[in-house]
Amino acid sequence: MSGTKPDILWAPHQVDRFVVCDSELSLYHVESTVNSELKAGSLRLSEDSAATLLSINSDTPYMKCVAWYLNYDPECLLAVGQANGRVVLTSLGQDHNSKFKDLIGKEFVPKHARQCNTLAWNPLDSNWLAAGLDKHRADFSVLIWDICSKYTPDIVPMEKVKLSAGETETTLLVTKPLYELGQNDACLSLCWLPRDQKLLLAGMHRNLAIFDLRNTSQKMFVNTKAVQGVTVDPYFHDRVASFYEGQVAIWDLRKFEKPVLTLTEQPKPLTKVAWCPTRTGLLATLTRDSNIIRLYDMQHTPTPIGDETEPTIIERSVQPCDNYIASFAWHPTSQNRMIVVTPNRTMSDFTVFERISLAWSPITSLMWACGRHLYECTEEENDNSLEKDIATKMRLRALSRYGLDTEQVWRNHILAGNEDPQLKSLWYTLHFMKQYTEDMDQKSPGNKGSLVYAGIKSIVKSSLGMVESSRHNWSGLDKQSDIQNLNEERILALQLCGWIKKGTDVDVGPFLNSLVQEGEWERAAAVALFNLDIRRAIQILNEGASSEKGDLNLNVVAMALSGYTDEKNSLWREMCSTLRLQLNNPYLCVMFAFLTSETGSYDGVLYENKVAVRDRVAFACKFLSDTQGSPLDVLKDERVQYWIENYRNLLDAWRFWHKRAEFDIHRSKLDPSSKPLAQVFVSCNFCGKSISYSCSTVPHQGRGFSQYGVSGSPTKSKVTSCPGCRKPLPRCALCLINMGTPVSSCPGGTKSDEKVDLSKDKKLAQFNNWFTWCHNCRHGGHAGHMLSWFRDHAECPVSACTCKCMQLDTTGNLVPAEAVQP
Amino acid sequence: MELHILEHRVRVLSVARPGLWLYTHPLIKLLFLPHRSRCKFFSLTETPEDYTLMVDEEGFKELPPSEFLQVAEATWLVLNVSSHSGAAVQAAGVTKIARSVIAPLAEHHVSVLMLSTYQTDFILVREQDLSVVIHTLAQEFDIYREVGGEPVPVTRDDSSNGFPRTQHGLSPTVHPIQSPQNRFCVLTLDPETLPAIATTLIDVLFYSHRFPSDLLLTSSSGELWRMVRIGGQPLGFDECGIVAQIAGPLAAADISAYYISTFNFDHALVDMKHREVKCLAQCHTAGQCGTRIPKEG
Repeated sequence: MSGTKPDILWAPHQVDRFVVCDSELSLYHVESTVNSELKAGSLRLSEDSAATLLSINSDTPYMKCVAWYLNYDPECLLAVGQANGRVVLTSLGQDHNSKFKDLIGKEFVPKHARQCNTLAWNPLDSNWLAAGLDKHRADFSVLIWDICSKYTPDIVPMEKVKLSAGETETTLLVTKPLYELGQNDACLSLCWLPRDQKLLLAGMHRNLAIFDLRNTSQKMFVNTKAVQGVTVDPYFHDRVASFYEGQVAIWDLRKFEKPVLTLTEQPKPLTKVAWCPTRTGLLATLTRDSNIIRLYDMQHTPTPIGDETEPTIIERSVQPCDNYIASFAWHPTSQNRMIVVTPNRTMSDFTVFERISLAWSPITSLMWACGRHLYECTEEENDNSLEKDIATKMRLRALSRYGLDTEQVWRNHILAGNEDPQLKSLWYTLHFMKQYTEDMDQKSPGNKGSLVYAGIKSIVKSSLGMVESSRHNWSGLDKQSDIQNLNEERILALQLCGWIKKGTDVDVGPFLNSLVQEGEWERAAAVALFNLDIRRAIQILNEGASSEKGDLNLNVVAMALSGYTDEKNSLWREMCSTLRLQLNNPYLCVMFAFLTSETGSYDGVLYENKVAVRDRVAFACKFLSDTQGSPLDVLKDERVQYWIENYRNLLDAWRFWHKRAEFDIHRSKLDPSSKPLAQVFVSCNFCGKSISYSCSTVPHQGRGFSQYGVSGSPTKSKVTSCPGCRKPLPRCALCLINMGTPVSSCPGGTKSDEKVDLSKDKKLAQFNNWFTWCHNCRHGGHAGHMLSWFRDHAECPVSACTCKCMQLDTTGNLVPAEAVQP
Repeated sequence: MELHILEHRVRVLSVARPGLWLYTHPLIKLLFLPHRSRCKFFSLTETPEDYTLMVDEEGFKELPPSEFLQVAEATWLVLNVSSHSGAAVQAAGVTKIARSVIAPLAEHHVSVLMLSTYQTDFILVREQDLSVVIHTLAQEFDIYREVGGEPVPVTRDDSSNGFPRTQHGLSPTVHPIQSPQNRFCVLTLDPETLPAIATTLIDVLFYSHRFPSDLLLTSSSGELWRMVRIGGQPLGFDECGIVAQIAGPLAAADISAYYISTFNFDHALVDMKHREVKCLAQCHTAGQCGTRIPKEG
């Protein structure tokens, strides 16, 4: 101010008006320009707003600070603090209300002239105005004026002599302040505390002081350099910010001895610090010669009282314009809106965007929060798009117990929806593998069985000695191709791939027939061709063309196939090798790739991803020779473990806990090492030994336990004393019977229990006997009793214990998603 | 009450009137361009005899030695009293601290220089007397020594060296006082307006004798002050109790006063509405009056 730096203020009530003050006061009106052109003479504030100058007031020279009257009426009354310490009431625009006419031009004069540093209107008594002045050796630096007090006319004549000639006789001078505080001290900043009308916080020369006007001889103060710009958090009345040079200090008035935290020091001195009036815990700061406003988000600050830990703050900065910023002002009501003014009086109106926090739910919906709004992104109810999403697919499959049918393994592809041929192929492969394992285990309980699961590669590798290739004649053609001799392992591999049936027969005929029956002519033709039976292939294609569902074009393919020639440079070969790529069906494509390939290089077949893996593997078994390598246990593979763990986590995230448990059960059957270790032990209060330790007669290895609590068998559950020291087990907090006894009946058994069918009831009854306890208060009892207690209560059942056990359990109130889902 | 020992280490010097031309440049620099030097404490007092400078060591370096420059041997430390009691005290300045600071120091033979300003009063003591000062004043004050801008509490224990001195009563010497008829205004200035009135100030300080009336800030009641000059012969720096001699009676009568020590003499400014001259005159019956009229300011 004072000619150098403009300051800016929003009107407290007329929310579309603001004042820029430097050597004079200029009142502006903000208008939206969304639907209209920029008016002549308007200043653009932002893309969609502009300001129009309403009036200018240059009545008050030597302005040092300005404060806008907080009451609704009169709206445009401002207090101006001058370089000589006088405070002048002035107005902007026309306030015709005669009631307040007396106020305009009123001056409040300190005994000794010196600069007025700051002004603050009392938020509770709108007539009280506090002024902070520089130091005088004998005078006070905080003066509180009552703007409605009667002026003292006796002093006027003398003043007139001293005042500049422009002053008129109507000038009203008030020289008697309501309160005088801070003798022989300087006041640099002021703010009223919202807690009480008579509490004033002042940044004095070397300290922050709280003056209580009810007892002016006393004050509370703390020595600090951070005395500039004191300001109270409008949302948290005990939190105050002040600054000194480049550092902001945050104070808690309840713990006033030292700042609760200081913000990172800025290299340049601060000029303004302001709490956002529309958002909790957001502090904006501005330094000299800077074009950015730094924001400190103390939203998640825990109450700093009690512990010494510094709260976490999120620091951000906004750059409203390219020029240096002289001052800024938060809008009093529009959320996060701010206006800034530059030294050359260009202005910019903008809104500080909230940080957006984004969250995916484990199912596909997406949520984000911005400011006070919460947005949910829902996918359009379009089946196709839902189908495509793997997460949705996996979830639906998990819901239909996909993968959990371990008896009839092939059925899993039906559980997955019977739509994906690849899945079908996979599960049949697995099915075959399972069958062969079982067969082999029956025949010779040796190591071959497990080999089946180790993969084709391992099977083929397991054969002793190299397989020799031999030339085989094409049936129906005068041609020979190199085919690997099928040893036992390769036959097993082909069997696993489904090309040949169980037993000693190596004929693919039955497989071809089954394919034809299912209408997979292309695949059948390809398999026939790979078995060097081109006639059969052509025949199959013809069959396909003539059938109802088949494609007539298959005839054309058959014709093309029949034109096969072994000639290296023939036109047939040339055309087929290029045109085959245009065939849509992968099997048709690989047929020509096979026929046009050089001997021994079958990349066109092997790398055709659309062809089922098992067909390609089978192909490889027939045509490729052995290469070295060593079999690996798939389960030991890190990646596999990673997939399993992630799948389990995913099921948990979906709240498919029962599905996950089922998965774990099946998994532990196959891989006993995956059985989870007991995580909870019940130890005896007296001897400290686990009570389930000797429950089981069979000695467990190490510290293994069957389950905590009393596991299943009713005979075991009658143990009511510690098996280690024979002292009694603790009592259930509800039935007061020692733990270990089975639950007689559910106290307060609800109606819903009656509906439950018997088998479920039985399972429940077992669980009812389990130990449960609160990890916080350590009270507990029978699981069944506890469950029914917490159905109606939040507090611990033990009298005089006020632990809110149930609320501490974050997952306790969640319902498994399976129960909700249809 | 708190007593702050400020960081400045101050030298007191006198520029003879004929030598002013030699010092105009550094003085203007120290006065108007404080950011150009590291000087943080600067005072210039013009009397009919000389110009008295009180500058810290940084400022002292700016001044070239010459035959016109007289420098007091000692290095002085600046004391400042601040009270946090909200109780209103009517009289201010040297009067307020007369009983609590000035008199005890005089009793312990500590020579002080006073420098009153619009905002506050500074008490300058010789660095070598510091331990005595602390010991003397520790009972009445919380003493802080400023280090790097931060007040550091001074405990009494580390100040016991050099104590006790033999105690005397007040100085037996009663100095003559003079009180010319001209009246004084005590004024202050908004630092931001300094560039605007720099030329006027330079003119007033070094070339002419008229002060502008509209730019400076003073009391709204328009109080005027009369000056009392203490000392017929230059007082020197060793004698103690001179300030106490003046401040004591003023405090007894509850009269506000400014007090400015210069190289040769002391000057008290007293509120005209009190008949303080009388009061002082009563105390100084042996004194002579009005030998020289100090320069109008």
